[in-house]
Amino acid sequence: MPIIVTLDAVLERKGMTLTQLSEAIDLTLANLSILKTGKAKAVRFSTLEAICHVLDCQPGEILAFERD
Amino acid sequence: MINRDNLVRSSALAVRVAAIANGAFVCALLLGLAASWLMADRLAALLPGDDLAEKVAGLRWMMALGLAMAGGAFVVLRALGGMVATVAAGDPFIAANTDRLHRIGWALLFLQLLDIPGYAIRWSFPALGSAGPDAGLSPGGWIAVLMVFVLARIFAAGTAMRDDLEGVV
Repeated sequence: MPIIVTLDAVLERKGMTLTQLSEAIDLTLANLSILKTGKAKAVRFSTLEAICHVLDCQPGEILAFERD
Repeated sequence: MINRDNLVRSSALAVRVAAIANGAFVCALLLGLAASWLMADRLAALLPGDDLAEKVAGLRWMMALGLAMAGGAFVVLRALGGMVATVAAGDPFIAANTDRLHRIGWALLFLQLLDIPGYAIRWSFPALGSAGPDAGLSPGGWIAVLMVFVLARIFAAGTAMRDDLEGVV
């Protein structure tokens, strides 16, 4: 898929684990893992907003587009 | 949640009981059909009158009609049992349930159409009198057929929506 999820890099930059983020945004670790590994089919705006709020970042820092 | 669980459990039990009753009904009809040939003498004693042959023939056709009805009921109950099981498992919006609803719809249509041979038996064997099949038109049955086919379409749309939602984070 040409949409790349770069949540890992942002988490590392902010010094946060996936578990801490899942607790902070009230999303299951399983679902957050699906997002992180790029297996999600779609992302809700509310999820994106919560992640950006907690990580203090822009959506563009979490998602990137790469041509095939 | 407890009420919903009870409802699912009660539905599963009701379907099982109905399936057993349907099976018993089939056994009784098969025994009745066999007896109509094997115990013709006793039947003659039970059904007094000059029109014995007509009565026996009418009864045989009625039992054959009953077997066809039991076949339709079997399809309905089997599909319904499968649907109740998916509700109990917590995942009813699956394509298999859409197929099951279609099968129920066709089986109900078949059961409704059995009114026609019912009329034919009543008309062909007047000696049966009030014992003949009650072949009255039932608008409720036809509405049920229509409703099940509409529900199958709704279910198909719901299943597609659920598939879309799967993988949404």
